[in-house]
Amino acid sequence: MHSTLDDPAVGPPRPPSRFRTSGRRGRHLAAHALVAAWALLALLAASDRQTLPVARWLAIHLFLLGAATTAIVVWSEHFAVAMLHARPPARRWSDARLAGVNVGVAGVLAGVWTDLPALTGAGCALLVTAVTAHLVVLVRLGRGALAGRLAPIADYYRAAAAALVVGGVLGWLLATGRTGAGQYTGLKLAHEHITLLGWIGLPVLGTLFMLWPTVLGVRMAERTTRVARRVLSLTVGGLLVTVVGLTLGVRPAAAAGMALYAAGIALTGHLFAGTLRHKPAISPAAAWTLAAAMAWLAVGVSADLGLLTLRPLTVVRDAVGSLLPVLLVGLVAQVLVGALTYLLPVVLSAGPKERATLRAVLERYWPQRLVLLNAGVALLALPAPGPAGTVGALLAATAGAAFLALTATALVRSGLALRRETGRSGGAGRPALWGIAAGAVVTVLAVLVANSGGGDGSSDVAGGAAGRGSGATRTVAVALTDLRIRPARIEVAAGTRLRLDVTNTDSQRHDLKVEDGPATPMLAQGEGRVLDLGPVTADRRAWCTMPGHRAAGMSLDIVVKRYGTATAGSGTATVGSGAATAGAGHSEHMTAGPGGLDLSAPFSAGWRPRAAELAPAPGGTVHRAELHAGSKEIEVAPGVNQRMWTFGGTAPGPTLHGRVGDVFEITLVNDDTTMGHGIDFHAGSLAPDRPMRTIRPGERLVYRFRAERAGAWLYHCSTAPMLQHLGNGMYGAVVIDPPGLRKADRTFVVVTSEIYLGTPGSAAQTAKMRRDTPDAWVFNGVAGQYEREPLKVKAGERVRFWVVAAGPSDGVAFHVVGTVFDTVYKEGAYLLRPQEAGGSQVLDLATAQGGFVETTFPEAGHYAFVDHDMRHAEAGAHGTVEVTG
Amino acid sequence: MDTVGWWSLVRFAHVTGAVLWVGGQLALSLVILPLARRLLDPGPKDRFTTAAGRRFGILTGTVFLPLQLATGWAMARHRGVTWASLAEPGYGRTLAAKLALFAVVMLAAAGHGIAQSRGRPELARSLAVVSLVGSLGVVLLATALPTT
Repeated sequence: MHSTLDDPAVGPPRPPSRFRTSGRRGRHLAAHALVAAWALLALLAASDRQTLPVARWLAIHLFLLGAATTAIVVWSEHFAVAMLHARPPARRWSDARLAGVNVGVAGVLAGVWTDLPALTGAGCALLVTAVTAHLVVLVRLGRGALAGRLAPIADYYRAAAAALVVGGVLGWLLATGRTGAGQYTGLKLAHEHITLLGWIGLPVLGTLFMLWPTVLGVRMAERTTRVARRVLSLTVGGLLVTVVGLTLGVRPAAAAGMALYAAGIALTGHLFAGTLRHKPAISPAAAWTLAAAMAWLAVGVSADLGLLTLRPLTVVRDAVGSLLPVLLVGLVAQVLVGALTYLLPVVLSAGPKERATLRAVLERYWPQRLVLLNAGVALLALPAPGPAGTVGALLAATAGAAFLALTATALVRSGLALRRETGRSGGAGRPALWGIAAGAVVTVLAVLVANSGGGDGSSDVAGGAAGRGSGATRTVAVALTDLRIRPARIEVAAGTRLRLDVTNTDSQRHDLKVEDGPATPMLAQGEGRVLDLGPVTADRRAWCTMPGHRAAGMSLDIVVKRYGTATAGSGTATVGSGAATAGAGHSEHMTAGPGGLDLSAPFSAGWRPRAAELAPAPGGTVHRAELHAGSKEIEVAPGVNQRMWTFGGTAPGPTLHGRVGDVFEITLVNDDTTMGHGIDFHAGSLAPDRPMRTIRPGERLVYRFRAERAGAWLYHCSTAPMLQHLGNGMYGAVVIDPPGLRKADRTFVVVTSEIYLGTPGSAAQTAKMRRDTPDAWVFNGVAGQYEREPLKVKAGERVRFWVVAAGPSDGVAFHVVGTVFDTVYKEGAYLLRPQEAGGSQVLDLATAQGGFVETTFPEAGHYAFVDHDMRHAEAGAHGTVEVTG
Repeated sequence: MDTVGWWSLVRFAHVTGAVLWVGGQLALSLVILPLARRLLDPGPKDRFTTAAGRRFGILTGTVFLPLQLATGWAMARHRGVTWASLAEPGYGRTLAAKLALFAVVMLAAAGHGIAQSRGRPELARSLAVVSLVGSLGVVLLATALPTT
C-alpha cells in the first residue's frame, strides 16, 4: 500500500527510467515553485492589508486560489494516478491544465485588483474550464483502471473539482456584483463553504486517509476504505445541502448540512485516532502538523455549525469572516506545511540520501514552528481585543515565512541537483514560451506604468478650471453600514470644497474610494477617515472596493447642482465660484457661470440662435407692424427653458429699423389672458397718457410715432411693475440710422439684458430682480448663444454693432476682444470717427441707452465679444465673431 | 488646416516604420523560419536563418531605428513634450512607458543578435520572441496615445 506514495523507502520501488524520473522531478519543482510564489505574494498582501484596499481579499485568494489550488491540482492528479493504478495523463495536457489554472487565477486576482470585471470574468471562465478539464481527467483515469483499495479517494478529488467549478461561478457572481444586496449574504456564505470545505476540505480529508498512516509508518486500518466511502457521502451530501440552503437563505437546511459534514469529520477523527501507535512516527513533523490541521478543521466546522444553528445569516457572514483566518492558517496552511514536509522530499529526490537531506531541511525547527503557528491561530481564533489578533497574525506569518524559506531552500537544492544530473539548464527547451512570458511581463509592466497616477487628462482639466478659490467648504458625515452608504447621494453647488467624514459602522471591513480621487484604507468597525475631495466641479461617484460590495449597493453619488436657485446659502457659494472663474479672463471658452448655469451644456435639438444681423430698413416712410404681447417658453441658456413675457413671441421683441423722419404705426395686441400690458417707444416723443396706457387681455391699441432723431432706442412694456415686465422679457430695439451713415459690410444688433429664472412674477424671482442677482446676463436674450453659433464675417470687412442696453437694472460695457473701435456713436452723437487719431475699446451704455460701434477685423480668427463687466461675461454675456480670411 | 498635412506625413512614416518592423518580425517568426526549419537541411537552414536574421538586423539598424527615432522625436517636439512632462500621469507617462518598452525591445533585439553569433540559439530565440511580444506592447501603448 505504501507504494502508492512512490516512496522507495517504505515500499517496493518503481523502476522508472532516468529520463522519466527527472521529468517528473522537474515538473514538481516548477509546480511547487509556483505554490511557494503564490504563498509569498499572499504573505506580502496580508502584511500590507491596511494600505491596499482589497488586500485582505487578495491575501485570502492569493493563498487559496493561487497556492492551495495549484497544490491541489498537482497532488490530486498525482495521487489519483497512484490510487487507481492508472496510466498518467499526457504530460503536455497536464501542464496545459496547470497553466490554465494559474493564468485563470492571475486573471481573477488582477481583474478584482484593477476593478476590471471583464478580466475577472475571463479569469474565472479560464479557471473553471481548466478545473473542469481536471475533473474530466480524474473521471477518465478511473475507467478501465485496476482500481486499488484506495480508489474511493479519487472520488474526493472529483467531488472537490466539481465544488471548485460551482465555487468559481459563485465567486464570479460576487466579484463582478451580479448579485443583488438581498442575495449577497447567502451567496457569499455559499461561496466560502463550497470552496473552503469542498475544494480544499475534501482533498485534504481524502488524502489524509492514506497520508496519515504513511507519515505514522503504520499499516492502514482494514476499515479505511469503508470509512472513506461513508465520510465522502456524509461530507459531500452535507456540503450540498448547506450550499443549497445558504443560496436559498434557508438557515436550518444549511445547519443540517453542516451537521452531516461535522459527522464526517468526527468519523475521520475517530479512525485516525485508532491508527495511533506507540511507536515513533516516520515523520513526526508531518504527523503533528497534520494532526493540528485536522483539529483546526474540527474547530472551524463546529464553530460554523454552532453559528448556523443559532444566529441569523447576516451575523454568520460576519462571524465566518473572522473565522476565515483560523481555517486559512490553521487548516489550509498547516496541511500544506505538513503534507509538503513529507511529500516534497519524496518527489524531489533522486535517492535515499538526497531525500534525507531535503527532509532535514524541511523539518528544521519544526517543533518551534508548529508552536508558533498554532499559538498564532489560537490568538486569531479567540475573541480577544485587537492587539492579540495582530500578535497572532504575526506569529502565524513568522511560522509561514520560515517554512516558505525552507521550501525555497529545498527547491533550489533539488533544482541544482537535477541540473547536475541532466546537464541542462532548467529553463531551456522552450525558448519561444520563455520569450512570450518575458515579453508579456514587460508589456504588462509598461501598461501598468502608463495607467498609473490615476485620472486622465480631461478630469485634470475639469478639476483645475473651476477649482481655484471657491470659498465654500462642506463636510458631510458618511456612514458605511450594512452594504449601504449613508447618505447615498450628496448634492453640492459647483466648486464647493467637499470633505467626507467617513466612518465604518458595520462589523464587516469596508473602505470608500472616490472616482478619480482619494480613498480610505480598509476601515474596521468604528474606524474613520476624512477624505478631502477638493472643489467639486462635476458629478462624482464613490464606492466600497471590497469585491461585490459596490454592486450590492455600496455606492454614493456626489451630484453637482445644475443651478442653485433654491437656497440663499447656495446662492452665496455660487457667486463665489463665479468670481473664481473670472480668473480665466480672455479665455475663449467660458463654461461655467454663477448660478451654476452650465453654458457648456448642449442646447436642445432644433435650437436656433436669434439672428443678430440688422435687416435693412424697409422702403417707404411709414412702417406698420403688429406686436402681440403674450407669454412663451423660451430656451434662455443651454438646456434651460424659462417662461418669458414677450412682444411678438421673442425676447427681445422684433427690432424695428428706419430712417430719421419715418413714421412707425405699431398695433399692440394683448394676447395674454392673465394680465395687462402696454408699450413705450423711446424713439418718439408724445404724451404718454393714451399710447402708453395698459390694455387688458384681448384689447389692442395703435401706437403711432415719428422718429425725428437718430439713435438706438429701447422699447419696452409700460405696465407696472416694469421691473418685472422688463425682467421677464418685454423689451426690444428701434434703430434709426443717422443721416449720412456710411455703408458697413455687416451690421449686427445686440440687445443686452438680464435673465431671472423661476416662475415669472413669483416672490422668489422678484426678490432676485430687486437684489439685482440675475441668473444670467445675455446678448439678444439667450446666454452664450453666439458662443455656440458665432457671428460670421470676413477679415477686413467693416462691421457695425448696434447695441441697446435693455436692463432692467444693468448697463453694458460692450467690447470686442482683439479689435479697436474706430467709430463710436452713443446716444445720438458720434464720439469718435475713423479719420480721428483716437480709438475706442468699450461702448459703455447705462440702462436703456443705445448706440453703435464700428471696427474692422484685421485677420482670420475667433474674436470674443463680451460685456466687459466680467461678472456679466462669465454668466452668459459673451459670444464669438468667427472671422475668415 | 489641411486634413493631410506635413505632420500627417511624419506620423505616416512613423506608423509605417512600426508596421514594417513588427510585421517583418511576425513574418520571420511565423512564416519564414518555421518553413526553413521544415524544408531545409540543417546546413542550408542555419545559413539561411543566419542570413535572414542579419539582413533584418541591418535593415533595423540603418532604416527602421533612425526613422522611428527621428519621426518620434519630431512629433514629441511638435506636441511640446518635455522631459518633465514624461512623468505626468496620462499622456506623459504613457509615452514614457512606451519609450521604456521600446528600449527593452531594442535591447532584446540586440541581445538576440549577440546570442545568435555566440552560438546560443535557444537564448537567441527567447530574446527574439521577447522583442516581438514587446513590440506588440509598444504598438498597444501607441494606440493609447491621443493623436499628435
